Amino acid sequence: MTGDASVFAVALRTLAVSGAALAAALALGLPAAIWLARRRFRGRHLVVSCVNAGMGLPPVVVGLVVALTLWRSGPLGFLGLMYTKTAMGIAQVLIALPLVVGISLAALMALGDEWHVQVRALGVRGWRATWLLLRETRAGLLAAVIAGLGGILSEVGAVMMVGGNLEGETRVLTTGILMYTQMGRFSEALALSAVLLGLTLVLAGALTALQQAERA
Amino acid sequence: MSGGCALSARELRVERGGPPAGFTLAIDALDLFAEEVLAVVGPNGAGKTTLLRALAGLEPACVGRVRCANERPVALIFQRPIMLSGSVAFNVRAPLWGAGVSRAQAARRTALALARFELEGFAERAASTLSGGEMRRVALAQAFVREPGVLLLDEPFDDLDVAARESLTLDLRSAIRDTGAAVALVSHDLGQALLLAERIAVLIDGRLVQLGPRDLVLRRPATPQAARLLGMANLLPGRVAARDGEGRAVVEVGPGIRLCSVSDAPIGARVVAGLRPEDVKIDVGRGATPIVGKGRVLHTLSDGALVTLQIDWGGVVLRTFLIAGRGLGHALRPGDLVSLAIRAEDVHLMREA
Repeated sequence: MTGDASVFAVALRTLAVSGAALAAALALGLPAAIWLARRRFRGRHLVVSCVNAGMGLPPVVVGLVVALTLWRSGPLGFLGLMYTKTAMGIAQVLIALPLVVGISLAALMALGDEWHVQVRALGVRGWRATWLLLRETRAGLLAAVIAGLGGILSEVGAVMMVGGNLEGETRVLTTGILMYTQMGRFSEALALSAVLLGLTLVLAGALTALQQAERA
Repeated sequence: MSGGCALSARELRVERGGPPAGFTLAIDALDLFAEEVLAVVGPNGAGKTTLLRALAGLEPACVGRVRCANERPVALIFQRPIMLSGSVAFNVRAPLWGAGVSRAQAARRTALALARFELEGFAERAASTLSGGEMRRVALAQAFVREPGVLLLDEPFDDLDVAARESLTLDLRSAIRDTGAAVALVSHDLGQALLLAERIAVLIDGRLVQLGPRDLVLRRPATPQAARLLGMANLLPGRVAARDGEGRAVVEVGPGIRLCSVSDAPIGARVVAGLRPEDVKIDVGRGATPIVGKGRVLHTLSDGALVTLQIDWGGVVLRTFLIAGRGLGHALRPGDLVSLAIRAEDVHLMREA
């Protein structure tokens, strides 16, 4: 690590990869949570149990599964994604997805069926009803975003396995901290830690402020 | 009825659960008319709320036909209306936003609805901080802002104090008159429902046992169970013993205790004679109503406005009302002997259940 420019580049890469992964996890997770909250089908309980179990999924296990899948000899090895930011993003999506779905689902289900009946009775249907639903549960949904972001930003094992911590390519704040600590270069490790901590605090703080403002 | 048919329901069926504990709502025909209030009365679990939800198209298990006469919406106000997070104005505007009404028109209609239910002062308050009565008003404003053709009200007076009920009743009456909406109203408070209703539907075990003009249903309930629901507190089982000189049925409701009724029930028929408390008169020698016998006051119960008297008439207990604090209402005590006057027109015979 040489100087502020490199730290800035690693921080930017962290934000880009984690931001894309969070966006993908929300794009997949929110509709899934809404669908699970509204539908009753055989096996739903099992699906919800799997989602809840997934919230505690060890990231290294996710990393291992993604690595085995993307490995040159793996089923998706032909895509050549191993040791790329895309591979890191995939691992992060898989880590964040259960958190987003599980926490969103809890928030959506807390409204109860009667809420949906009464909103229908107001003549609000379709996307407008979904918009009201998201608006009504926004505090819980923001908690899901905060949890997903936290899970992604703090993750190191999986991204190390599938990203490889390649300088200028796949090095992010967490993998950089790990590497410098192992090398005994604690000042660089501390510098990256401070940036990671600052990023986490700023992003989580902003989301929390938004959540509390919405609740008021 | 005041206007044309606004909503017509045919062969409605809602089934929940299987026998023996299952419930079935089965309504062959029900029409709601513009500018008219229909009170739906029935015991707990009769299916009153289910009926309203079925009419509003909110009952997923409902089969049958519900047809509205025009494009105006059907609005349902729930017993426990939910408030969306946000201001009162946002809650009232939400149905218009849901219907894609333009911003300017929505603002105008929202202001009118807020004014109609005296909510202007609350417009910017968070709806979740309102009292139960205020929330009920917001729910009414939410309904009327849509300019509904049909308004369905589920226990609109629940949990309200006397003043709030009265004020809500007056607001509702003027809103119904102004908008020409057809209204179906479910309320366990019969007296409050009767202040608004022109027709009554009696719903028992998911079936309409009677539907008709208010006064007719009140005075001529179809069954003893309906009679009890409608406040006909004197239900006397008996048998048609004879016909008098004017062709009226003479019903024996106890040993030597006979009542006349304008009824064509055949001699020998087992019947229940129904008599509203207000139709049992205490005679003090000045009335034209025929005296049927003498009874002894058993109990007096006063709520400060009315005294309910229980009178033992040769083993048959009759209930009647008197105004509290004056005349007989003030003077009568348990044990007093009174003359009972009952008109044959007020005695309604029903088949024994």
